[in-house]
Amino acid sequence: MQQIQTMKVRAAIESQTRREFFTSAASGLGGLALSQLFADEGAGAQSRGALALAPSHFAPTAKRCIFIFLAGAPSHVDLYDPKPILVEKNGESLPQELTDKVRFAFIKKESAILMGSKRKFHRYGECQMELCDLLPHIGSCADDIALVRSMHTDAFNHHPAQLMMTTGVPRFGRPSLGSWLTYGLGSETNELPSYVVLSAGRGSSGGVSNWTSGFLPSTYEGVVFRGEGEPVLNLNNPLGYDQRMQKDSLDLINQLNRERLEKQNDTEIASRINAYELAFRMQQAAPELTDLSSETSATLDLYGVTRSEPKKNSFRGGGANVYQQFSKNCLLARRLVERGVRCVTLMHASWDHHSNLDAEISYNARMLDQPAAALVTDLKQRGLLDETLVICAGEFGRTPLGENRGGNKQNTGRDHHPYAYSLWMAGGGIRGGQVVGKTDDIGWAPVEDAVHVNDFHATILHLFGFDHHRLVHPFKGLDVRLTDQGGKVVEKLIG
Amino acid sequence: MNKRHCLLTGIIIGFTATLNVLAASHEDEDQVDFVDSIQPILKRSCYSCHAADKQEGGLRLDHRDSAMIGGDSGPIVVKQRPADSLMLQLIAGLDDDRGRMPPEGEGTPLTKQQIDLFRQWIQQGANWPETTDVVLPSSHWSFQPIQLPELPTVKNKRWGRTAIDRFVLAGLEERGVAPSPEANRGTLLRRLYLDVLGLLPPPNVAREFLANTREDAYRIAVERVLASNHYGERWGRHWLDLARYADSDGYEKDRPRPHAWRYRDWVINALNADMPFDQFTVEQLAGDLLPDASVEMKVATGFHRNTLHNTEGGTDKEEDRVKKTVDRTNTFGSIWMGLTVGCSQCHSHKYDPISHREYYQLYSFFNDISEQDIAAPTVTEQLEFAETEKEFQQSHQPFVVAVQQYTANVLPMALENWLTTERASRHTWVVPPSVAVSSKHGTTFKKLADASWLAEGPNESSEIYTITVDMPSISGFRLEVLPDDSLPVKGPGRADNGNFVLTMVTAEVRRAGTEDEFQKVLIARTQADFSQQNWQVEKSVNTNVDDGWAVSPQFGKSHQALFQFANGIQFAEGVELRIQLEQKYASGRAHNIGRFRISTSENDGELTLQGTPANVGSALAIQSSERNAKQQQVIMEYFKTHNTEYLAVVKAEREHAAQAPKAPATKAQSVVEISTPRQGYIHLRGNFLTPGSAVETSGFMVLPPVKPREEQVDRLDLAQWTVSEDNPLTARVTINRIWQRYFGVGLVATSDDFGKQGELPSHSDLLDWLAHEFRSQGWSLKHIHRLILTSSVYRQASATRSELTESDPDNRWLARQHRARVEAEIVRDLALDASALLSHRVGGPSVKPPQPSEYASLTYANSAQWSTSSGDDKYRRGLYTFFQRTSPYPMLMAFDSPDSTQCVTQRSHSNTPLQALTLWNDRVFHECAQRLALRVLTEVPSDNSSEKGNEVLRRTRIKYLFLTCLSRYPTDSEYLSVVKYLDSQLSQLTENPKNAETIIGERPFPQVVATPTAAAWVALGRVVLNLDEFITKE
Repeated sequence: MQQIQTMKVRAAIESQTRREFFTSAASGLGGLALSQLFADEGAGAQSRGALALAPSHFAPTAKRCIFIFLAGAPSHVDLYDPKPILVEKNGESLPQELTDKVRFAFIKKESAILMGSKRKFHRYGECQMELCDLLPHIGSCADDIALVRSMHTDAFNHHPAQLMMTTGVPRFGRPSLGSWLTYGLGSETNELPSYVVLSAGRGSSGGVSNWTSGFLPSTYEGVVFRGEGEPVLNLNNPLGYDQRMQKDSLDLINQLNRERLEKQNDTEIASRINAYELAFRMQQAAPELTDLSSETSATLDLYGVTRSEPKKNSFRGGGANVYQQFSKNCLLARRLVERGVRCVTLMHASWDHHSNLDAEISYNARMLDQPAAALVTDLKQRGLLDETLVICAGEFGRTPLGENRGGNKQNTGRDHHPYAYSLWMAGGGIRGGQVVGKTDDIGWAPVEDAVHVNDFHATILHLFGFDHHRLVHPFKGLDVRLTDQGGKVVEKLIG
Repeated sequence: MNKRHCLLTGIIIGFTATLNVLAASHEDEDQVDFVDSIQPILKRSCYSCHAADKQEGGLRLDHRDSAMIGGDSGPIVVKQRPADSLMLQLIAGLDDDRGRMPPEGEGTPLTKQQIDLFRQWIQQGANWPETTDVVLPSSHWSFQPIQLPELPTVKNKRWGRTAIDRFVLAGLEERGVAPSPEANRGTLLRRLYLDVLGLLPPPNVAREFLANTREDAYRIAVERVLASNHYGERWGRHWLDLARYADSDGYEKDRPRPHAWRYRDWVINALNADMPFDQFTVEQLAGDLLPDASVEMKVATGFHRNTLHNTEGGTDKEEDRVKKTVDRTNTFGSIWMGLTVGCSQCHSHKYDPISHREYYQLYSFFNDISEQDIAAPTVTEQLEFAETEKEFQQSHQPFVVAVQQYTANVLPMALENWLTTERASRHTWVVPPSVAVSSKHGTTFKKLADASWLAEGPNESSEIYTITVDMPSISGFRLEVLPDDSLPVKGPGRADNGNFVLTMVTAEVRRAGTEDEFQKVLIARTQADFSQQNWQVEKSVNTNVDDGWAVSPQFGKSHQALFQFANGIQFAEGVELRIQLEQKYASGRAHNIGRFRISTSENDGELTLQGTPANVGSALAIQSSERNAKQQQVIMEYFKTHNTEYLAVVKAEREHAAQAPKAPATKAQSVVEISTPRQGYIHLRGNFLTPGSAVETSGFMVLPPVKPREEQVDRLDLAQWTVSEDNPLTARVTINRIWQRYFGVGLVATSDDFGKQGELPSHSDLLDWLAHEFRSQGWSLKHIHRLILTSSVYRQASATRSELTESDPDNRWLARQHRARVEAEIVRDLALDASALLSHRVGGPSVKPPQPSEYASLTYANSAQWSTSSGDDKYRRGLYTFFQRTSPYPMLMAFDSPDSTQCVTQRSHSNTPLQALTLWNDRVFHECAQRLALRVLTEVPSDNSSEKGNEVLRRTRIKYLFLTCLSRYPTDSEYLSVVKYLDSQLSQLTENPKNAETIIGERPFPQVVATPTAAAWVALGRVVLNLDEFITKE
């Protein structure tokens, strides 16, 4: 059965590289200057152990991934999936056989009515992709984008559904997509973490569990780059330590560690030496990464890094300066993948529009539109889009019904809707300029090419050169995989 | 139901006719004997997949009851109806979708004759005598009873110290490998402290140990650490990994669990007291069900409360409860059985003999749990409370005595006095028979059946109601304002919010039936049952017309006010009383009374709102000599409420009593069993919304049965079964985990899987010997610790042996000790300990040491607020750090702390640059470097005033630094490297005195130490805290 072919990629590589490194370490590492040792690409890769480059099952089309995660779940019928019949039926109640079978978070079934979108939809690109009027920039990339309108998921509360999107099951404890990719492929950078998370606005329901390494070692966990202060937690030396002292200290630490290595012969000590070297390099590289002064003003403007923040009330959009922060994050995502970072997650978590939908989604969509499109455009201009998969998605859709939660005087929002939603992908081997899947007249459920979250993950792994059945890690007696018990590659999406 | 199933049903119906016809032809044939004809076929063709060791599709055919229950698809035999029996359809291959049994490649298909035998047997009633059950016992090693193995003989008689050593050495000798030499003394001592306490040996202990070569020095050290209360912290944390302990709910809302720590304290205390592991088990699983369960036993069940809990809006409560029950079942399986039972949640276990049905039988033990928080003061709190309570009682005694004395000595006389002088003070309120009501500005009144008046019509902002009554004599009147459905918010006022404002009350009288002028009456006293703040009833009779009586926010109910005259009024003709109720609230909005009733009294004594209670009145009406004891008592109690002196004494006593120390508010999370048990069902494909057939509460077939104490098995029976003599798993699994903590890998490497997918034990006899010893020595954990710690195996050096890296890369032969970076919490503890910052307090609520402020903001809408602890609480051991599930403490996570969402038997040990950055730069660790330098410079003081150029002093300090952090002295080459570093830093810092000042921080160093020197030592301290060896158990 499948079991026999299972390729426990990382486990095999770890033990192999350890032994190799042990040999080289034992044969006189003590005399080698560390800089020499790690300057060599081969030795560096070899000694990275858990993060050493590893082959995929077959040739990949994508090497890096940028995941724009719109936590809270944007409304598909307002952004991506035009439903004229829903507009016509605005105010009608839903056939009972449809509501009988389903659970809602907040909607009261008895009095629920259909709510058409107030948005206008336009056609964009040669492919004539229909998107709402809030997304003209993304529309300008339509021919590079594959829009999936037939997503569906298993969970209808935020946290479980976010875990579903990021780890493949609606429960805690599993590694996230970025962790799996780093685990499977290793790291291409030896001065930055391989999996980076950038956040704009407030936190998501899932918090760190959205970029966790689960039962995998924390080596594969997403590292949060911060919007203010030092770019990475604890990156800066304590006050008073200048560069030279830091280098002296590093040298002494490594010197003493090497002496211990000679006595103990434990390759873990070699890994420790290596980790300190990488940390030291990261101290130089991370500030350089976040310093945008080398970017042209054309690039800065493309992303809208200095664009003005619209006037807003209270907590709309998730806090202060989200427009600029999100623009900056998109630009940083490009800079990160340029430097060999495997996975970047861009979090924005204010899409849970139970009420005041029109104002809220307009505000958020304008925040998203320009920088997200700029990212695709910029990557393409620089020849990076071919190998970089860009994904833009939330955790589920929103009801075609208005939300009539008890106490609300009128329907101004939509409830959680796991049965259908939309997301888009570009680059990394995705066939752009197409819409995959179709929902029924009101956007309730897919009627063509339904794509389950496990299918979505299977497809992503395929782009990265993995058979999702075989990228596994043994845990509690199971060979666990990102796609859990399901998953079917969506061939239509692949170019 | 999907299409495939519908299709299947169709096919089956099609077959039925044919089959029943076929069956009919066999009716006259002889009885088929199960043992002779059927069982041999089952054995030959079916048992390889459907017996004790394997139950494909949840089906077991070696045991009558199991076979008759059927598998995941339901029953397979319908007696006398072969056509409807799935078994026959399958062995005959009649269903294309399901295929034929046994499947191709798994066994020979049955012959036509054999199939006919089955058909006939079912037709005849599928007679399966119970006594014939073969019930093949599982052959899997971990399900076999634990036997005491014999100690193997070894050639090398000098090396071993304990039985453990005999088993390991025998294995090594078999392979021709010699054990490693004993570890250096410093390494050994440090290993012992790290393993048992998670702390460093204090430098004086280390120094003494290095110098002490007595044979028993190590044994003494072992006893010392086992007696330390930090043992419970170290090993308690291991247990908390299993128990998925956290201080918050998890999920979006991730609410804090302020009482969770109480369970953690229970674990720590139980381990420190070396509570036998069977008791430790039973109390956690079912302490609430033990007879006369103590608070501590209930606290132990907090184990079950460590599940996640979803309070996100719109969550299905039953779904959340089911998820918790599943987690409880799986956690039980992992911790005590070492089995991945969770696999059977959706389908029968692929590898282990656990069916889908059996999973839900086990699940049923946990299905009746209900969550309950209980008052659970700790022992210390109870003692402290008893102490302060005692002190308070002493100071309170005089107040109690005062009340008693007044009651005994003064009150009876006062009552006598009152009865003679104020006898008349009993009174009743009477509604006058004739009442006239009018208004000044148009309000009309409707008289209701209860003699009250409802205001209607115009509702002007300034209004006066005039009420006139006739009575023989009047000493005061009572105004009742009443609610009514017709009023806003039911009144009693007519204002929008139900209020009214009575700005002025006047009373006038004249002789009844005359045209005399009304004479104004002085209202001497007022009282109301309730007055709005700043709108007391007395303000309705003062001279200020702008204030008055109002009743916000007590709307919708009745209120009373009484107005007592200075003197009672009595005329021969009777009294005509005219009351005017002015309602001129200055806001301009009408605030008139909506419904009211007037009554009067003629009593000269003090009027009360309710009048004299009926029972008091009737008691008073009786001659004092005629009253019985009860009547006297009634009068006395009534009198007490009117005796101001008595009231003052009582008030003083009450006020002092209010200052009594509060009983400790500490609570604990605990569970109870619901009174009506839930019926358990199979959840088809693990989905609780699609229940399958009902299940009984029961254990697993492959293991000895769980026996009920009474009729029905329950959670306590399961707990007692878990630690019973015939359960082979608990002792093995527990011993294995202990071994794993000491040697990195368990004797069974897959410590969470003792099933068929798990690895076989490397030393099965050793495992069984220890398991047997564990049970026969009263389940004492410390006994096992002592055995391991004093063994020669444990005392070996840990250096990797290059000659064994090929043949034994994972050290399963145990030819050396294991070398490993310590766990996240211990990394922190060691740094704090080395720098003498560590708080050694054991137990108590969780703390919040400093962390970057933005970190918690990554949680949903900042749900996790982090208010940093102060004082010593900043320096508590890592296991006390508040564990917020959605934003755990970053330092802990960087070092692979589990996320505490599920039972973890083995942590990963990553080695990352983020760890380097944490140790280098995290503010806690930097403070440790500062204090470590300070410690070394003060604990090794200079013997004269000048430190400069004192090489001996510097050498002593470097040695002390190494001793403190690494429990050893530096090698010559290490010493030279360190000296070179110190010199270089010193010269740099002398050139940059500002850097030096910043580096040493705020805490002053000894004056004789120059600032650049101090700073160089801080930098050196930082280096040592970053050494691989520092955070490693060697």
